[in-house]
Amino acid sequence: MLQGRLVILRPLSLDDVDREHRWINDHEVTQHLNMRYAVSRAAEEAWLRDVASKVASWGHVWFAIEIAATGQHIGNINFHEVVAEDRKARLGMMIGEKSHWSRGFGTDALMTFLRFGFEEMNLHRIDLLVDANNPRAIACYRKCGMVEEARLRQNRYARGRYVDQLVMGVLRDEWRAVYAKYGGASDA
Amino acid sequence: MLEGTLVNLRAQEMDDLERNMRWLNDRAVTRTLAMRYQVSLLAEEGWMRQRTARPLNWENAVFAIETKDGEHIGNAGLHGKAVEDRVAELGIMIGERPYWNRGYGTDAVRTLVRFGFEEMNLNRIYLHAYDFNAGGLAAYRKCGFVEEGRMREAHWSEGAYHDIVIMSVLRDEYTPSPRNP
Repeated sequence: MLQGRLVILRPLSLDDVDREHRWINDHEVTQHLNMRYAVSRAAEEAWLRDVASKVASWGHVWFAIEIAATGQHIGNINFHEVVAEDRKARLGMMIGEKSHWSRGFGTDALMTFLRFGFEEMNLHRIDLLVDANNPRAIACYRKCGMVEEARLRQNRYARGRYVDQLVMGVLRDEWRAVYAKYGGASDA
Repeated sequence: MLEGTLVNLRAQEMDDLERNMRWLNDRAVTRTLAMRYQVSLLAEEGWMRQRTARPLNWENAVFAIETKDGEHIGNAGLHGKAVEDRVAELGIMIGERPYWNRGYGTDAVRTLVRFGFEEMNLNRIYLHAYDFNAGGLAAYRKCGFVEEGRMREAHWSEGAYHDIVIMSVLRDEYTPSPRNP
């Protein structure tokens, strides 16, 4: 379990299936995710069983985001496309509980997750893709030190049109400076 | 077979194995590719057997590049991503060094881009190139690819981190290259 200022990151559990299933079928939640089709309860359960039963490792990093004060599960964060030689990873994040948007939980989860990636996994670089028309997410990523590196034109099709996506990335040294200012928790 | 001005693109065959092996173990060739480790004959043979046994398709439209004289000089392909987004990634290797910087790669890319838009019905074709690959970057620009940005220090090789340049061409921007009769 990883301690942030506002949230903790813990392993996913089969008990999370109701929430996960609700979030993944909420169009407002998934509109900026790489999700298009409705997900059955059975499919969601199979996915969760798979993710939650695998031993976490370099190639399999998934956390549930919980509010530290209340224990409420509000979303997930994970790495995919981890490359050993380049020491880089791409991350994905979802805050499924809409009532908890724009309240600093996502920022804290990301700060805490980056700390894990850089300080425990020994990554050199972490990046993500974000829709260019998702200013709320972009603002959160900027706060965490992520820099806009590329604009992928018409990289995604949704709601009747092509949308640009941004690559945002942060290097370990940059992140360390940002994190020191943020005054986040340490696992030490 | 896809016809360009200097090259033709054809399906890969098992007969290409020996050349592919030679190229994939030539560091001068692979330093611009996402390839790091030496490739054994058995591994390459297995890989090629798998590829050549199946028809080319959306995810794996990889061709052998031949000169008009029928000399196999490299490979190039498109790898379709999410179908709904109509995006594919382009990759190319000119393995025969005497054919570098003579327009063969550029012609192969143009031919492939035309295939991507006109036959695969793509909307966006992108590629990744390392920042030190000046020859490649210039060739891609000639083919209409636009630099979209750089993933900083995203590639480690030869003892240092290098940026990965992302380039793309969109269907709207694409002007068909002159076709052979």
